[in-house]
Amino acid sequence: MIKLIGVFLTLAACGNMGLTWARVYEKRPQQLTSVEAALQLLETEIIYAATPLPEAMEQVALKCDPETAGLFKNTARELNKMEGITAGEAWGRAVDAFFPGTAWNERDAHILKRFGASLGASDREDQAKHLQMARSQLKLATHQAEAISRKNSTVFKYLGFLGGLLLVLILY
Amino acid sequence: MAVDVNTGGTCSKACHPIVGMISRDILPVLPNRIREIITELPGEILEQIEEIRLRQNKPLLLGLARQDTMVTALGHPTGVTEFSYVVTEKDMGRAVQLVSGSSVYAFEEEIKNGFITIKGGHRVGISGKVLVDRGKVKTIRNITGLNIRIAREVTGAADRVLPYLIDPVTREFHHTLIVSPPRCGKTTLLRDIVRQLSNGVPCLDFRGCTVGVVDERSEIAGCLNGEPQKDIGMRTDVLDGCPKAEGMMMLIRAMGPQVIAADEIGRQEDAAAMEEALNAGIKVLTTAHGRDREEISLRPVLRYIMEQGIFERMVILGRSKGVGAVEDIIDLAGNKSLVR
Repeated sequence: MIKLIGVFLTLAACGNMGLTWARVYEKRPQQLTSVEAALQLLETEIIYAATPLPEAMEQVALKCDPETAGLFKNTARELNKMEGITAGEAWGRAVDAFFPGTAWNERDAHILKRFGASLGASDREDQAKHLQMARSQLKLATHQAEAISRKNSTVFKYLGFLGGLLLVLILY
Repeated sequence: MAVDVNTGGTCSKACHPIVGMISRDILPVLPNRIREIITELPGEILEQIEEIRLRQNKPLLLGLARQDTMVTALGHPTGVTEFSYVVTEKDMGRAVQLVSGSSVYAFEEEIKNGFITIKGGHRVGISGKVLVDRGKVKTIRNITGLNIRIAREVTGAADRVLPYLIDPVTREFHHTLIVSPPRCGKTTLLRDIVRQLSNGVPCLDFRGCTVGVVDERSEIAGCLNGEPQKDIGMRTDVLDGCPKAEGMMMLIRAMGPQVIAADEIGRQEDAAAMEEALNAGIKVLTTAHGRDREEISLRPVLRYIMEQGIFERMVILGRSKGVGAVEDIIDLAGNKSLVR
């Protein structure tokens, strides 16, 4: 009887481990999509409303997916400190601070940082170009992340469960 | 929002009103390295600063009351180019971003006009590569020159002239033209007259009256998003960035001003609008570039206005007795000087 409970617990634990790993892969495309949607909000603020950047960032933070709101809130906070840093630097700092808590990889962070370099530094037309470029790059990254996720998340789901089964068979 | 950027600075330095204004309004829009230089400047230089000029890859220049000076990286004034602090491309880029609050795109209209007004009503002139679309300026890209002009509010600048401009019997303001060469305190005087007329002048027994200001170049009130950054009095309405002639008509229609103030008249339509104001019984206060009465009458529109006998008083400013010193006040109706 106790053995059976053990089998059950082992299977549950390993299966869960697999599912958690799989979820990390699923998270990345989700988060990238939500960042891209937030950038679209930022684009509206900049291009149509010409809202000053600190305020635009706050607006986006309010409207976008709560999971990505921190990125924009941090940027607004850095800008409002008036420490003599540019919008690009404030954005860079916010990306750095936000990165560890996300499922992004280095390349995703790089896309965002590169976009930051031109943030707020030019006229509307130019801002639109840079925003669109960043968004299309994010879209591409999302597609890739989705492909990887489809492959890997199934693998990890099975791997966790089958690994558990293997453990059970060896120990039983 | 409290901004504390006055990192250095002894108390005696920080206590001077101009110094306080510079650290409150000007330092936050400067890149860090230039900020440090300005904070390290000796007090007597800091008090005199009228302009801070940033030109890419050229020495940082401070425009003082009488001349300009370069500064070293440690904040000492210097006359030697080799020792001077040179504004880098990076400084320039940062300054542009800071001046615009990291939102260059939000200032497209202002950039088209060649300047941005920052908090405190100071103006920042811009130069660089101009993009033109169908004969009109579209924007300035690659900004390589900034001129931060520190707008001084000299409360009481008008104390000496007001007794001559307000009729002692009827307590009415005279139509006044202020004549002065550039950078002699024309706008400062105009602003203070506006403020005093608007708030009232108790010592002259003049009760405050409604003043309409047409601020075509955003210089008088220094508006930021339509809100005056300068003290121009409680009974003052401002049309910011509005062409003078049109603005005067707009004010006459519904704002009911008793005095209309505008900077730098000189175009044909300005004269017509002024006549309109006159017919509506409104007093006019305005300025013109020039050294004296003769120079003014060389310009056709101004000569026309003078010949019409619209103005009753002419205040002439000059630099010979210091910035903003009144050289002469002329009673145009009686054709005599009131101060000499």
